[in-house]
Amino acid sequence: MNIHTYEKVWLAAAMVLIVGFIATITYGAVGPGIAMIDDEAGSIDPAEINDDERFAEPGVEHVGGNEYEVTVVAQAWSYSPAEIEVPANSEVTFYVTSRDVTHSFSVVGTNVNTMVIPGQVSEMTVQFDEPGEYGILCNEYCGEYHHTMEGKLNVVPEDEFDLTELSVEAPDEVDAGNETTITANVSNGMQEDLETTATLEIGEQQSERDVTVAGDSTEQVEFTVDTADLGEGDHDWTVTVDDYEESGTLSVVADDGNASADGGDGDA
Amino acid sequence: MAMRNAYVDQFPSEARLISAAFWSSFLALAIGGSLGLVQALHRTDYLRFIDSVDYYTVLTAHGVLLAITFTIFFLVGIFTWAVTTSLDRGLEDLRFSWAWYAMMVVGTVLVGVSILGGVVDSIDMQADVLFTFYAPLQAHPAFYVGLVLFVVGTWLAGADWFRTWWAWRGENPDERIPLPTFMTLTTTLFWYLCTLGVALSILVLLLPWSMGIVDSVNPLLSRTLFWYFGHAVVYFWLMPAYMMWYIMLPKLSGGKLFSDPLARVVFVLFLLLSTPTGIHHQYLDPGIAEGYKFIAMTNTMFLLLPSLLTAFTVVASMEHGARQRGGTGYLGWLKALPWRDPVFTGMALAGLMFAAAGFSGMINAGMNINYLVHNTWWIVGHFHLTVGTAVALTFMAAAYWFVPQVTGKQLWNRSLALGQVLLWFVGMTFMSNAMHRSGLFGMPRRTAEPQYQGFNFEPAAGTVGEINAQVALGAALLTIALALFLLNMVMTTIGGESDAIPDNTYAGTLSGPEDAPVVLDNLKLWTAIATVLVVFAYTLPLASIIDAGGLFGPGIEGFQLTIGIDPAIVLESVREVMP
Ligand code: HEM
Ligand SMILES: [Cu+2]
Ligand SMILES: [Cu+2]
Repeated sequence: MNIHTYEKVWLAAAMVLIVGFIATITYGAVGPGIAMIDDEAGSIDPAEINDDERFAEPGVEHVGGNEYEVTVVAQAWSYSPAEIEVPANSEVTFYVTSRDVTHSFSVVGTNVNTMVIPGQVSEMTVQFDEPGEYGILCNEYCGEYHHTMEGKLNVVPEDEFDLTELSVEAPDEVDAGNETTITANVSNGMQEDLETTATLEIGEQQSERDVTVAGDSTEQVEFTVDTADLGEGDHDWTVTVDDYEESGTLSVVADDGNASADGGDGDA
Repeated sequence: MAMRNAYVDQFPSEARLISAAFWSSFLALAIGGSLGLVQALHRTDYLRFIDSVDYYTVLTAHGVLLAITFTIFFLVGIFTWAVTTSLDRGLEDLRFSWAWYAMMVVGTVLVGVSILGGVVDSIDMQADVLFTFYAPLQAHPAFYVGLVLFVVGTWLAGADWFRTWWAWRGENPDERIPLPTFMTLTTTLFWYLCTLGVALSILVLLLPWSMGIVDSVNPLLSRTLFWYFGHAVVYFWLMPAYMMWYIMLPKLSGGKLFSDPLARVVFVLFLLLSTPTGIHHQYLDPGIAEGYKFIAMTNTMFLLLPSLLTAFTVVASMEHGARQRGGTGYLGWLKALPWRDPVFTGMALAGLMFAAAGFSGMINAGMNINYLVHNTWWIVGHFHLTVGTAVALTFMAAAYWFVPQVTGKQLWNRSLALGQVLLWFVGMTFMSNAMHRSGLFGMPRRTAEPQYQGFNFEPAAGTVGEINAQVALGAALLTIALALFLLNMVMTTIGGESDAIPDNTYAGTLSGPEDAPVVLDNLKLWTAIATVLVVFAYTLPLASIIDAGGLFGPGIEGFQLTIGIDPAIVLESVREVMP
């Protein structure tokens, strides 16, 4: 075959270009570790998501050190959870799956972007160095309200981040003269111990308890309330642990011997 | 007066068939293009006269009518012209030819009606699934049946071209396959190879499932089979445009094609590599191992080769033509090209845009850079340069030459035609550039209202408002260009016969087929190698997808998140199942 000299030069240059591209991309994949979404995270039956170990309660989990796992379930037309908070200087692995049709999980303006296909789990690991706020959107058509599908990712300064949760159990009503208990459940999602103080304010009174919650566990802090100090009537209470608080009202009623003292839980 | 020797004089019956195919194509372009304007204005919030939920019906129609109907009807016309002209013999049996044309029409009508059902209540169908119809979004069975009929119609068209060639070969056993026929046949071969995937997906998985015969689907499997076809289809659109650049542009420039052998090599490379690359559309899909993505990426990069070779050959041929016309100088020869000829200028501008598209395409092809742009408006900007201009503008420019050839009527207004191709180029420059920029800050594609509650887009340069203005302006210019094109075609067709139609010829070659090794014409060999490459690229990924999710999926039943359901009810039912 008769090939013009210029053509040969062009052909050679084209081959160099192509091989160069492949080399660069290969380097990008194995070098700085820009990992691809692949089949590592396995498959899942969408009907069983609610019973799945990983996806039953989607959200942020601390793995240890600066490593976190975030599980997200996408469905028409929202993400659970809709808002995600992780600390700066962290390495976060996302696991995302879909309950219905194909969606995407795309953190706007970054290369955190994956298809979310029913039956499959998408896994990707991302470093967050700086605090910042990002939008999350679905960029794969998923039905008629696709354009409303969005979420939020907040990367907060390390010292503002925790995985503490507070839930309080308190009766609504208590007979005058009796003692009752308000219980604060403090759970710590981090792997390290949490040392903190729980405070109860009720009426004019305030009590404090120091508490240490071990990693990945929950402690109960019980506050005993004596109605004699409060007197009859409605009393607002507030339990505070760090930045978390929960409030309710306790009614102290005259004992007419008819209602049970156990009014049930405070609203959790 | 000299004897006229246009295509319609040589092959009057074939000319009628080609005319019919062209008009089917123009009709799709007219409707689909107008919907494009509706989309551009809706998204940018300049004008929203449809409900946002209907946006997706419109978008499905735009995608199907332009990417499938407009392109393929036009190219079956061009390929029929190429085969008959270069073999100098008519089709074997026109009844057969009209049958495949009719099949494509019926298929299109079925698809069209089922899409229309998404906005017209009296049609009890819907197909709001976009042109990619990813399961488990589900369309009415008529949509899938229509697609199958359309594709089978193209298969029969391919058989028609092969038949004609076989008959010719019987009479000319020792001759090389003429270049235009060679291009048609190699393209048809990879079309057969790639449509097999989508045909299987529709016939085995989607159609039985939409009819309730099987009750579940494997979304990743049908999606992978779609992309098995979905990348090659872009070369199916592109090959007729390449053919025009190879065999018309040199002639229009006043010269000859630089090298027939290189042209054959290019088309063989497309036959080999078009299909085993489809997974590059799935770089972000879970469930496919990185190694398979890597193979697709490598094949894709090698696919740059035939396009780079084409760039060389086409430019060299144009330079040769320009120098024949008295052009001189290092770049001065460019001035000697026939810039007043809308056919030449349209194709040359289309080629230029394709070069630009090559750059954004290299970004897309990079496995990891792809993460930034996947499913953003960058991609939409990219393919409006490729199929929306390199292909569409080449076809429109070609129509200015072909419609007179197949009707015997002179082009109604040449200056208007020249203005039209320029206007398309300018309009697309605005629209596509702005779309590319939008993609870089994460603006999603396929979204009726890309304005969100919880965050704003932050362009690195410029503002969202300014970028939207460019999209709307570009879309308006494109729509005007489209209207001018159609006006010219209608006026040409209703005009009278003319004797001033040029002869039906295509470019000669500087280095002819005698310089090309005979093995290049061995279509069986290339088809076998292409098949082996496909088997390598796809067997393992398909096997592991079926292994993990089952042929019919793990109880994934399908959703029509689009018809007549009250969104409040859907949201409520979704909340119920939410943990
Ligand atoms: C008047 C000229 C045109 C205008 C104004 C236009 C406008 C648009 C717009 C705004 C979108 C984006 C929709 C979205 O992402 O939400 C779009 C998508 C698209 N356009 Fe065009 N377009 C035009 C011509 C064409 C042509 C000639 C073709 C192909 C031959 C084409 C093929 C497509 C395809 C395949 C899509 C993607 C559909 C999807 O995402 O499902 N367009 N067009
Ligand atoms: Cu979506
Ligand atoms: Cu592709």
